Amino acid sequence: MSKSALITGITGQDGSYLAEHLVSLGYEVHGLIRGQNNPRAAIVRRIVPALQLVEGDLHDQSSLISALEATHPDEVYNLGAISFVALSFKQAINTGEITGLGVTRMLDAIRVVNPAIRFYQASSSEMFGKVRETPQTELTPFHPRSPYGVAKVYGHYITVNYRESYGMFAVSGILFNHESPRRGLEFVTRKITDGVARIKLGLETELRLGNIDSQRDWGFAGDYVRAMHLMLQQDEPDDYVVATGETHSVRELLELAFGHVGLRWQDHVVVDDRFLRPADVAMLVGDAGKAQRLLGWKPTVAFPELVAMMVESDLSAVAADRAPSSASRH
Amino acid sequence: MPELSRRALVTGVTGQDGSYLCELLLAEGYEVHGMVMPGELIPTTVPAAVHLHEGLLTDSGSLQAALDAARPDEVYNLAAATSVAASFDDPVAVADVTGLGVLRLLQAIRGTGAPIRLLQASSAEIFGGAEKSPQDETTPLCPISPYGVAKAFAHQTVQLHRRTHAVFAATAILYNHESPRRGPGFVTRKITTAAARISRGLDGELRLGNLDVERDWGYAPDYVRAMHLALQQETADDYVVATGETHPLRELLDIAFTSVGLDWHRHVVADPALLRPAEPVRLCGDASRARARLGWAPTRDFPAIIREMVMADLDRLDEGGHPPGAGPAGPSPDSPPRPAGMRRSVP
Repeated sequence: MSKSALITGITGQDGSYLAEHLVSLGYEVHGLIRGQNNPRAAIVRRIVPALQLVEGDLHDQSSLISALEATHPDEVYNLGAISFVALSFKQAINTGEITGLGVTRMLDAIRVVNPAIRFYQASSSEMFGKVRETPQTELTPFHPRSPYGVAKVYGHYITVNYRESYGMFAVSGILFNHESPRRGLEFVTRKITDGVARIKLGLETELRLGNIDSQRDWGFAGDYVRAMHLMLQQDEPDDYVVATGETHSVRELLELAFGHVGLRWQDHVVVDDRFLRPADVAMLVGDAGKAQRLLGWKPTVAFPELVAMMVESDLSAVAADRAPSSASRH
Repeated sequence: MPELSRRALVTGVTGQDGSYLCELLLAEGYEVHGMVMPGELIPTTVPAAVHLHEGLLTDSGSLQAALDAARPDEVYNLAAATSVAASFDDPVAVADVTGLGVLRLLQAIRGTGAPIRLLQASSAEIFGGAEKSPQDETTPLCPISPYGVAKAFAHQTVQLHRRTHAVFAATAILYNHESPRRGPGFVTRKITTAAARISRGLDGELRLGNLDVERDWGYAPDYVRAMHLALQQETADDYVVATGETHPLRELLDIAFTSVGLDWHRHVVADPALLRPAEPVRLCGDASRARARLGWAPTRDFPAIIREMVMADLDRLDEGGHPPGAGPAGPSPDSPPRPAGMRRSVP
């Protein structure tokens, strides 16, 4: 009998990649979707036609219980969150509610409905914030610098707590930044590749950015969802860092993205203090040694390849958008 | 001309710490306001001079209203779902009050535009599973109960507001602190009440969960003094408030039962049903920072605290009053207190 999975945050980047991956492995895949006529439902349906959507909201525990009862999953992947760090400063309570307490609501719903369901929590390198050691491992202390980071730390601890106190198979995957052509436009990588495409195609001339010296460990989202699945196939639940182990600066990203279309970033990028976020995180780089050893996981897409993939995709999307007869983007 | 008196708003005013803190602030000349839950019974330990306002940490509007009414210079956030054991039954509600509640309070404080100082009562439970002992302000957090996880959220939220929003927000990381006003659901009070009752022939035995725990137990009136001092500094910071000594539960039993001429071994029954899913094994705090910067030091040692608690429980029995919540199992400290010793008065 095929396995069944329920994914929250299905309309996000990782949701669609994970759904595709699980469908390819023969899973029956359900996506939790919020609200009536969610416009993003159609997008994810187009990407993963086999996906079945079920209504529910991380704000509302009884809706999660109903969703679990309706879908009978073997595995739950909690990717739902208010995931944009800058927004979390403006909507701190909402971030705490969804990104933090949403985890507890789902864990508790699982405990009530069927504690044998395996649970994956999407934790984040933002939990490390002002890092205490480099690179960061599963044992590095957390020092979050944003409401998003604080809420993710809460989600991580409560996941560990349900595992240790209730014996549930609950794991936390500490994922470093991971990007793709499906990344939201509010994230710096996609903002840059989209900007490059627009500048190349003559729609715009400049790109305004905050701190171009910040460094990140950027991987490919398609690789990272494989790690999520592997974590739930182990004999014992545990926490894993998922990262490339390499850092690159925004400056390097600019070189690669503009270089890919034969432009110089210095001619187009304007550094704008308004985009600096409070308490910007310094140097995040992950040591995924444990995931490599125990899960046999490793990344397959290198950074230059990732940037090229994103620029190409945005060139096609922007070009299609300009064509008068074409439908809307995506 | 005397200076206008300073004003303080205390949440969780009906708890052990709330009552001691109100007494201290009144003695210091403050105008003291207390926030209570709508319909909450007010114990007689809350001084009559305290102005009461209804409000809930789960309701941002009510926090704003309480701040508008009290116009405080200092806010002490002592309100929380305080039972670690009960936090396993409803982790979502605990996180809403104990965790998100602090965020709502900080936002309400920022919303006033006034330079209000906040003292957050953090808890040693944020270090629940710490590998290192004793713990200090730099020890990595390692909460192991839904209560501890929610307190960790609150603690980090306060630190974040201090750094990114320049709010004067301090935390006191409080280790266990006891007194005759400790709630009946806490193990110290459960033991002192049982020793008193058994000595008067009212009970025969005392059922307890894990007898092997060790705790760093201090005296509640000392701890509220540290909270007040933390807000009188130039800058806001985190302070561990602890004695630095741990005592095994067996020693507590020995002191309590011996003080009424009994041998605890003949009355205490270990009951696995009372075990918590996860128990911090050894929490011990290093209060060097509080001692150095706040000039703070504990004034009462462990045996004296326990004996005072037993004597107070005996007095309550002998006065014919019902010790609040006395009984072999002991209700959770969050359950409604008994009417005895209560007055009801919210404007």
